[in-house]
Amino acid sequence: MIKTDKMRLSKKIASIFIATAVGLLSSCGSDDDSYTEIDLSFQRPANFPAPTYDYAANPATRAGFELGRKLFYDGRLSSDGVVSCGFCHEQAAAFTHHGHSVSHGVNEQIGTRNTMPIQNLGFYDSFMWDGSVDHLDLVAVVALTSEIEMNGNFQQMLSLFGTDPEYKRLFEQAFPNEQISTEKMLLALGQFMSLMVSSNSKFDKWQRAEDGVTLTAEEESGYEVFQQKCASCHAGNLFTDQSFRNNGLVINPFVNDLGKYRTTQIETDKYKFKVPSLRNVMKSAPYMHDGKFRTLDAVLDHYTSGIQQTQNIDPSLINGIQLSETEKVQIKAFLNTLTDEEFLNDSRFAPF
Amino acid sequence: MKSLHKFRVAMGFAILALLFSCSSDDEAITGQGKLNLEFDQVFGGADLILRTQANALSNGEVLKVDELKYIVSNIRLTKSDGTVFTYPKSESYFIVDESDIQTQLLTLDGVPAGDYISVTFGIGVDQEQFNLGAAGQGNFLALAEAESMMWSWSAGYKFLVYEGTFTTPTVTDAETFMVHTGRTGIAYNYTETTLTLPEAAAVRTSVTPQVHIFADAKRILEGPNAISLEENSATGLGAMIMGGAILGEVTTNVSQAFQVNHVHND
Repeated sequence: MIKTDKMRLSKKIASIFIATAVGLLSSCGSDDDSYTEIDLSFQRPANFPAPTYDYAANPATRAGFELGRKLFYDGRLSSDGVVSCGFCHEQAAAFTHHGHSVSHGVNEQIGTRNTMPIQNLGFYDSFMWDGSVDHLDLVAVVALTSEIEMNGNFQQMLSLFGTDPEYKRLFEQAFPNEQISTEKMLLALGQFMSLMVSSNSKFDKWQRAEDGVTLTAEEESGYEVFQQKCASCHAGNLFTDQSFRNNGLVINPFVNDLGKYRTTQIETDKYKFKVPSLRNVMKSAPYMHDGKFRTLDAVLDHYTSGIQQTQNIDPSLINGIQLSETEKVQIKAFLNTLTDEEFLNDSRFAPF
Repeated sequence: MKSLHKFRVAMGFAILALLFSCSSDDEAITGQGKLNLEFDQVFGGADLILRTQANALSNGEVLKVDELKYIVSNIRLTKSDGTVFTYPKSESYFIVDESDIQTQLLTLDGVPAGDYISVTFGIGVDQEQFNLGAAGQGNFLALAEAESMMWSWSAGYKFLVYEGTFTTPTVTDAETFMVHTGRTGIAYNYTETTLTLPEAAAVRTSVTPQVHIFADAKRILEGPNAISLEENSATGLGAMIMGGAILGEVTTNVSQAFQVNHVHND
């Protein structure tokens, strides 16, 4: 009896050793970086609505995701070889262009709108400040080809993919036996961007009762004020109702950005812009579609006393929003709980 | 023994099958062939000639056309027995360009042999394709970009590009006109047309019929909806018809701008 147990034990030990050895060997041999244990499964966060993106139709694979990441950070896709997606969408700034009111693209051309964050796009039904794109796979098309952003050329991108050994390898791994095409390029970018989910802020953990996270009294009060006075537009756990509204900013006569009107040419859409999410808002300054405000204080002051009565002003803002100084402090405390350090530091989305 | 028996049974079936195929249907049309769709641009009763030719609308406006391009998509062919052959969607997007004769002949491969009596196609990119995102579009984006058919402010395409200059009895210095249709924030502006063939296109493994389609540029501006370029050039800076509700009117006109002139079955 004792002997057999011993034998079993030694067999067990041996098999553990073998497994470890195999694991070590394969971890050394197969991959050249520490990027092996990458989790690419999509799971809807328990406190999020249903996604709009069809994750099953374009399931992320490691090669597809890697390809998407490479594309996202590759300046060679632009006409000057410098401006990549990541140029204006920096991870630490919630994938916005840190500190830039509006962004500059190739040839130092200046855009007219503030960079939107890239996060939770798989839950949106339209994209861009004016909603001109309504499928996540196609979002990149605009930035890739816009003359003031990347000014890229798809034929040149295709020849780059066809000659660069790394791209050839990644396309082949991600889409075996299929031609390299703009379709596959967009699908890879779709795999990468659709997994950029920010759902692990302090607020989320509190809401899901995870890890014993609690909000301070001030943060909770801020959430209450927010729900009463802000959440009709910054609604739900995406913190946007995804509608388009004129929030009463001064109209810059040199730009005269007509907002959603550009896509519809409907008079009542003039000066309306997408209600942005407030997730990671502490990291994504400056604010508003034109990047007018550098601080949240300036934003809150705008809503209490700065609303301009311009064409199509949102009815809920005609009289401004009444906020006491205490309430402003509380709201800011609450907004601070929407910062998701796990997302902002997630190595899967980093350039290297 | 057993295997020999199996062999005999199999042979028996094979002979039966041969008998049936010989006797039951001696005119069976089988296999696959090709069909060519030729898109020939005209202006009213005349062939369209770019740049030099003056083309008069009924309202007195006179156009010189510099460019006419459009996306043909979602081709379906209907046989005389009513069955429909749908050309594979992902291969069914083409750009026809009046300035490039290579683009005007669309060759459809793998068409089941049969007698086809009508052809249906779309002008533009349909809502279903937009909903697919990137999937199924292959390199159409690159093709559209090379042909300047990207709708640059959104992730879409120009479905139709119709450009040139015009004069009217009151506008004597030629002004530019640009008619671009495409998906806007309010409408897809995709349209389909079904054309009856004057005689059936008989696709056989050895016969590739050619369907000669006239696309009438005149009807783009005066089909069911009469559109005046002068009225759309209020500022005198040219008629820029590229958005809003008027694209719906242009789209309706476009859906009725095509007809089949004749079919070659040789």
